[in-house]
Amino acid sequence: MKNCELGLFSGNDRTAYKPGETLVLSVLWALPVKPASLEVRLFWFTRGKGTEDVEVVATETIAANAPAGEASVQFALPAAPYSFSGKLISLLWAAELVAEPGARSTRFEFALSPTGAEIVLGKPNQ
Amino acid sequence: MVSARDNPYSSDRVLRVRYRFHADDWARLIATLTRHHGRGALVGEKGSGKTTLLEDLAIRLRQEGRQVTLIRLSAEFPRPPGAYNRAFFASLTPRDAVLLDGAEQLRLLTWLRFRWRARRAGFLVVTTHRAGRLPLLHRCTTSPALLCNLVSSLGQSLTTEESVALYQRHRGNLREALRELYDQQAKNNTPLLSFPALNA
Repeated sequence: MKNCELGLFSGNDRTAYKPGETLVLSVLWALPVKPASLEVRLFWFTRGKGTEDVEVVATETIAANAPAGEASVQFALPAAPYSFSGKLISLLWAAELVAEPGARSTRFEFALSPTGAEIVLGKPNQ
Repeated sequence: MVSARDNPYSSDRVLRVRYRFHADDWARLIATLTRHHGRGALVGEKGSGKTTLLEDLAIRLRQEGRQVTLIRLSAEFPRPPGAYNRAFFASLTPRDAVLLDGAEQLRLLTWLRFRWRARRAGFLVVTTHRAGRLPLLHRCTTSPALLCNLVSSLGQSLTTEESVALYQRHRGNLREALRELYDQQAKNNTPLLSFPALNA
């Protein structure tokens, strides 16, 4: 479908956060028709050699009264799990904007850890 | 080091590579399935793409308006989950398609009971290592050339010699061959655990 656009951005282009911080995201949508539902899901997922794991930890529904618009959502980030990467598995955090019908989506990935940086397994302390 | 998220052979990337099937192949498979009254088996060795093909078939059947139930069995979970009970089977209609991945996990009597219970479903398609449980729909085969092609799909490359050696080492199991390539990518690693400094 043409003329479908979804945007999900952090207000200050940050891509790293600490547990307990508030993640504020700007939501933009421009669709052919008013979406039946529009929601932002906060979740973590794994990547690597084995089966993927995923858990949605929070969902915010946006009242979309028009085919196009903008809104803001915020999430209090949980204490865990931290973002990390090793050679067998990585754990990543993301928020995803999903518009229905059609399951159109866009994603904003970020790191969550006490230092605000992804923990790297196998990397000597500096 | 190549982290898991960046490894070109990570499972999410490998799973995006679908079974190499063309329109003619699909037409032939569906025709065979119809000829056998919606019953059939996808047969092949481990790592030959049976499950991938079954998943692709599930998508096709859903697009045709079928109600698809995909049941996965494995050595760890050799019996259908409890949700697939008498009530489930009693609710099946000709619009239903029951897809069973790993039919070889069921003992003969259990399989015969499963097949009987699923008789009301319009389709019953299984994957299995050996032919015999249902009419053969398609035999999944592999080759060094196919391995080379899959690696290319992942944005990587193998020489013919590397492909043949890897293929032979894993006896045609492409899933295990791709896992070895994953390990090769990841092996430049130091076995240490580190956290970034808290005051960073």
